[in-house]
Amino acid sequence: MTKLQTEVLVIGGGSTGLGVVRDAAMRGFATVLVDRSDLATGTTGRFHGLLHSGGRYVVKDPKAAEECIHENRILRKIAADVIEDTGGYFLTTPIDDPEFADKFVEGCRATDVPCEEVPVAEVLRKEPRLNPGITRAFAVPDGSLDSWKMVWACARSAEANGARILTYHEVLRMIVEGGAVKGAVVRDNRSGEEVQIDADFVVNASGAWAGKLAEMAGCEVTVFPGKGIMVAMNHRLVNTVVNRCSMPSDGDIIVPARGVAVIGTTDVKVADPDEWEITREEVQKMLSAGENLVPGFRQARALRVWGGVRPLYQEKVDSADTRDVTRAHALLNHRTRDGVERFVTITGGKFCTLRLMAEETMDAVCGELGVQRPCRTADEPLPDSEEKRYYWLGARVQQREETLHQDQLICECEFVPRRGLEAAMLRRPTTNLDDIRRVLRLGMGPCQGGFCIYRATGILHQLQTISSSVANRSLLDFLQERWKGVRPALYGDQLRQVRLDEWIYQGVLNVGHLPADEAQGSGREEVKT
Amino acid sequence: MSADVVVLGAGLSGLTAALRLAEGGLRTVLVAQGVGATHLAPPTIDVLGYDPELVESPAQALPAFAAAHADHPYARISAETVAAGIGWFRDKVPGLGYVGSLDENLLVPTAVGAAKPTAIVPEAMAAGDLRSGGRFVFVGLRAFKSFYPAYLAENLCRAKLSSGATVEARGIQLNDPGQEPDVTCMEYARQFERPEFRKAVTSELLPQLQAEEKVGFPSVLGLDDHRAVWQELQDVLQRPVFEVPSLPPSVPGIRLFRALRKALRSAGGRLVLGPVAVGAETSNGTVDALVVQASANRPTTYAAKWFVLATGGFATGAIDLDSFGEVRETVLGLPVAGVPDVEALRFSPGYFEDHPMARAGLAVDEHLRPVDADGNPAFGNVYAVGAVLGGAEPWREHSGNGLAIATGFAAASEILEGAS
Repeated sequence: MTKLQTEVLVIGGGSTGLGVVRDAAMRGFATVLVDRSDLATGTTGRFHGLLHSGGRYVVKDPKAAEECIHENRILRKIAADVIEDTGGYFLTTPIDDPEFADKFVEGCRATDVPCEEVPVAEVLRKEPRLNPGITRAFAVPDGSLDSWKMVWACARSAEANGARILTYHEVLRMIVEGGAVKGAVVRDNRSGEEVQIDADFVVNASGAWAGKLAEMAGCEVTVFPGKGIMVAMNHRLVNTVVNRCSMPSDGDIIVPARGVAVIGTTDVKVADPDEWEITREEVQKMLSAGENLVPGFRQARALRVWGGVRPLYQEKVDSADTRDVTRAHALLNHRTRDGVERFVTITGGKFCTLRLMAEETMDAVCGELGVQRPCRTADEPLPDSEEKRYYWLGARVQQREETLHQDQLICECEFVPRRGLEAAMLRRPTTNLDDIRRVLRLGMGPCQGGFCIYRATGILHQLQTISSSVANRSLLDFLQERWKGVRPALYGDQLRQVRLDEWIYQGVLNVGHLPADEAQGSGREEVKT
Repeated sequence: MSADVVVLGAGLSGLTAALRLAEGGLRTVLVAQGVGATHLAPPTIDVLGYDPELVESPAQALPAFAAAHADHPYARISAETVAAGIGWFRDKVPGLGYVGSLDENLLVPTAVGAAKPTAIVPEAMAAGDLRSGGRFVFVGLRAFKSFYPAYLAENLCRAKLSSGATVEARGIQLNDPGQEPDVTCMEYARQFERPEFRKAVTSELLPQLQAEEKVGFPSVLGLDDHRAVWQELQDVLQRPVFEVPSLPPSVPGIRLFRALRKALRSAGGRLVLGPVAVGAETSNGTVDALVVQASANRPTTYAAKWFVLATGGFATGAIDLDSFGEVRETVLGLPVAGVPDVEALRFSPGYFEDHPMARAGLAVDEHLRPVDADGNPAFGNVYAVGAVLGGAEPWREHSGNGLAIATGFAAASEILEGAS
């Protein structure tokens, strides 16, 4: 078995883990991060992309609100390239209790969330699609952020500081000796090879899966997986984040994100973070909720639906409704809590608080290791954010225009040029187009890969000299992955699109009858040399 | 505006119906919002490719297929009508030189290197037929991003043919002249119509070819001058040359559209592209006129004795599924058959699994008139053809253009019979 030696081992390649690995590496620790899959494939890549001002929690969960606004201010300084500065509104819509608005204002004051009442007429001028029955409006510093860009930026920053990030490495067991965690045995899910990672300290940052990982070290941690679904509409129905001014409920936020608007979300407790479905009722609930905020919402084109599981942590289990569980994070020191040394779990929390969670975690790790190394993450900008310029909607078009006459456009919806695609394929060698999708947004636009999947498969085959059967598997997996997302909200114009894509892939290309392979495994092993 | 027949929709089924009606002597107007699927998909005449196993002979398979699929459009028309329609169609577009028969499907390579069964293909695709195996070389063009010859060829080499024959295939990537990095199929089609471009391509390619190889290009070998382009390439390369269709738009499909449009106009038919059908005037179970609207103009009525709906299915918006799950036919509000209950399984979790909703569409009687749930015609003088018909999944069955031609031909024949 291959052995690796490190100081800090971080388990989980979502926002929490990436925050921790960056913080640890910047403090000078030798650090390794492992994830069973690619980065940001759990909850992180599956949320609505809201940079919280904290407004959502000022009444219900003031601690979470304080954390949000604190981190909102820092992220604007260190991660501008990841953020679109859309601003946000809290709106008293016709179905909201008008008295909540005053509680909201009071809550904002108490938690230091900047909030300014705006005349409704001004809001409707700026966002003419909003429900004209709105009676009060408050502006807050919400924003829209790109979780994948944030994750890649953290990963690059961590690697630049010496960290190693091992994707597709799944923890098989923890190494516990003499009441202390000494590392973990992981398996490379692509090659099947097992690797022993010896570590001075292990951080469990596996989000909704934290209970499973903690159990491997003999610690009982109860994390509720709280399912939330989101629907992306194929238009910027609003250019500002809009929230209902009421207690958090289903479908009360619309976030403009790049070319789309995302409505979210639900909150349903599920038994297993890997086993859940999106139901027709949930989707209908989102569409009806959208209709309340933006009349005519149902006539707009729905692009795709996805869901994620929030890691909701409560030390004492006493609530059936996951909405009542705090959104604040929890750092569990297993030495004091369970008598297991050199092991902490960081879970709960929100994407927006990833940096703060990492800081507290590494402070605790330093404490346990008896060293003093200050946190530097609040001051040092992430890669590509050095100039502190916010991302803006036209950024991709602008980039594309610079190379218009020098390069092919492979994915027309998301402006993915050929050279960028090839560079991404070579930078993170993979035979899986879905991994490329998360880096470049390949196939994420209105046609959902109708045109670019074939091209990207041909390019991948050419570039990485993979066999055609591996390329076929990647193509078919990608079609299935796209189908999974469009299926729950398949109506209207997106159904027209799906039908065109069916004609292309099944009618014209006949991909359903590619040569049968003796070994159609995961499609990730068989790499020709 | 008045005519004997108004055909709505300019895809293959609408063009077929309109041409046959015009040739039959009826004053025919074809009205369409825009061009149809001819511009998206290759003009291979797929009659029946899978049931669900590979179909070797559509002629032999059709009667049993129709008997087993009572809601399928093929169950409304006889196998003889299908054959007659396709025979008639071939004669109308001699310039494309269609090759093949309903007796035995050809197997042509697709751009991913799958073998696709199809009954009849334009002559410029025929040399790609894989049934008896052989040696093939596929040619990629420098700036064409929708064709990957090495990937195609490698898959094709693994094709399992029932004849036991084997396919040898390889890819070549040309560095043909030009500076632009991203050249569309339409632009390449125009390039191929220039002799100097062809010369550059053939002089680069010829030294790389091996004996006995058939040469496959992406389907961009000229548009209006296609036949001459194709023949010259065969002459200069001294090998059979064929086209392989890829992503939309489809240059060979556009050739077919142009051939049919020309034939329709020669036969005295009118083609009006642009207006959208917004409603109809009806009385006593007949449609008197279609109401159409072009951009911001005032609505116009097209009165006629007969109407043919060739509007397409979900893909065109002719049949709409709304966000609540309701399905409707958007022009005349005709009943849509085969719609699973809103709580029932409509689309399966697996992309390649059966999707019951995919077969929703108009049900028709044996005259191809849309019917209600009791089987009675909704209107005595309305016919439906092509993809608006329910009961089929043409992209899976590989039956799309065959269905379009056969039903377009059959509906026109019904109307002509009624008129005489």
